[in-house]
Amino acid sequence: MAGAHRRPVEQRTEMIADPAIFGADLAPSTAAPPKIVIRNLHFFYKQFEALKGINLDLPDKSVTAFIGPSGCGKSTLLRVINRIYDLYPGQRATGDVLIDGRNVLDPGQDLNLLRAKVGMVFQKPTPFPMSIADNIAFGIRLYEQLPASEMEDRIEQALRRAALWDEVKDKLKQSGLSLSGGQQQRLCIARAIAVEPEILLLDEPASALDPISTQRIEELISELKTDYCIVIVTHNMQQAARSSDYTAFMYLGELIEVDETETIFTKPRVGRTEDYITGRFG
Amino acid sequence: MATEHIIKSYDEELRRLNNTITQMGGLGESQLAAAIEAVVKRDSELAARVVEGDARVDQLEREVDGLVVRLLALRQPMARDLREILAALRIASDLERICDYAANVAKRSIVLNQSPPVKPVYTLPRMVRLAQALTKDVLDAYVARDADKALVVWARDEELDEMYSSLFRELLTYMMEDPRNITACTHLLFMAKNVERIGDHATNIAETVYFLVNGTPLTQMRPKRDNSAETMIAPRSSGANEPT
Repeated sequence: MAGAHRRPVEQRTEMIADPAIFGADLAPSTAAPPKIVIRNLHFFYKQFEALKGINLDLPDKSVTAFIGPSGCGKSTLLRVINRIYDLYPGQRATGDVLIDGRNVLDPGQDLNLLRAKVGMVFQKPTPFPMSIADNIAFGIRLYEQLPASEMEDRIEQALRRAALWDEVKDKLKQSGLSLSGGQQQRLCIARAIAVEPEILLLDEPASALDPISTQRIEELISELKTDYCIVIVTHNMQQAARSSDYTAFMYLGELIEVDETETIFTKPRVGRTEDYITGRFG
Repeated sequence: MATEHIIKSYDEELRRLNNTITQMGGLGESQLAAAIEAVVKRDSELAARVVEGDARVDQLEREVDGLVVRLLALRQPMARDLREILAALRIASDLERICDYAANVAKRSIVLNQSPPVKPVYTLPRMVRLAQALTKDVLDAYVARDADKALVVWARDEELDEMYSSLFRELLTYMMEDPRNITACTHLLFMAKNVERIGDHATNIAETVYFLVNGTPLTQMRPKRDNSAETMIAPRSSGANEPT
């Protein structure tokens, strides 16, 4: 990110003290307008307030990582972006989550369209109990009717982008469940990108994988970020440091600090962030 | 180290690293003190002990290297932990050089003791004392994690540079006055250069302490007064040394 767009340190430090502009002005400053703009977001699991007024901008074509201890609200924040929480009773969000300027928390928001635009991959691989090819085709068929040859091209393209094609090209008819954990996770990523979303939400995508598969996923993330706005939740600090451009540290439902990843992991401004990343929390 | 890590052995390893650096620093200071004493008292035995003592410093540096490699590999340190570890690695290397120079000074003093004393021998200890003070102060700044104190050392190296430049001119003059001084003065010149370099390593440590405390490198230009590289002393026009 061009240094010219960074604010002077003094100015940014002042902003920490002013909660009214806390999140908005601490958000990563980029030349392009942010893809996702979150303003005054509160989230409730029944009576429990899990997010307490989050303000954050997420830039396009880059990776933003959410880090923080368990229960800090990072997964909740991710789940708000594609409104997956709507599936559960008693969960509600207030505030604004603007994607390209449109508030997705609007009751009138078409959720199918939203989820086509915002793909999500979970901690545990969730392939459908069907063939590898059908796993990819399933999502595409929800939104588009394609002739068979074109569908094959789309499947190949998605599997190639997810760095899985070479490993599965000879067994596309086999069950998705026959793949290894790391391959299943890449299949889920292929499935998510097959519908050509604009945003990818990754909720601890590598935490159940072996180190080699983890590295493949990280490599994949760095390739995909040229086209997508990627948001990743991870407990693995080194992974956040390696694969993201921006990092947001959350604690007890609040956004404590967000900055370029390099700054967060080398010289964070807030003591609590430093305590967390250096393993001194508590 | 304000608060402790969740993993106690991590703290233990950082403490050990810190202690090893402090130990190296202490040894460095005593090596320098002994080197001056050896020069002033023309004590060749003491000088020999300084030369021998250098091996212990080298050993401590290897210990620091081993600890740093271990910490980097096992702990994936971040932020101030990472700076602590990088600082230790750099400071150990500077201290090792400082001690090498102290040993060099001692080694050359043994040769000097074989000829009658020349006058500049008395200027050199003043330089060594200043170098010793800079080293001590910068190590205190490291122990206290005091960037301001480190900056004072960083700026004071200028005095050492100045002393070196003036000694350099003085030695050239002595050599021109009497070629019999050349051997002793050449050794003294190397010794003075060694001491001047000790000051440079002390400023390196000061910069490291600044980085350790603030997380940003010191980017200002350091004031320098060593102009020996441009020094030229013309021989007297009607002297015995003039070519015919």
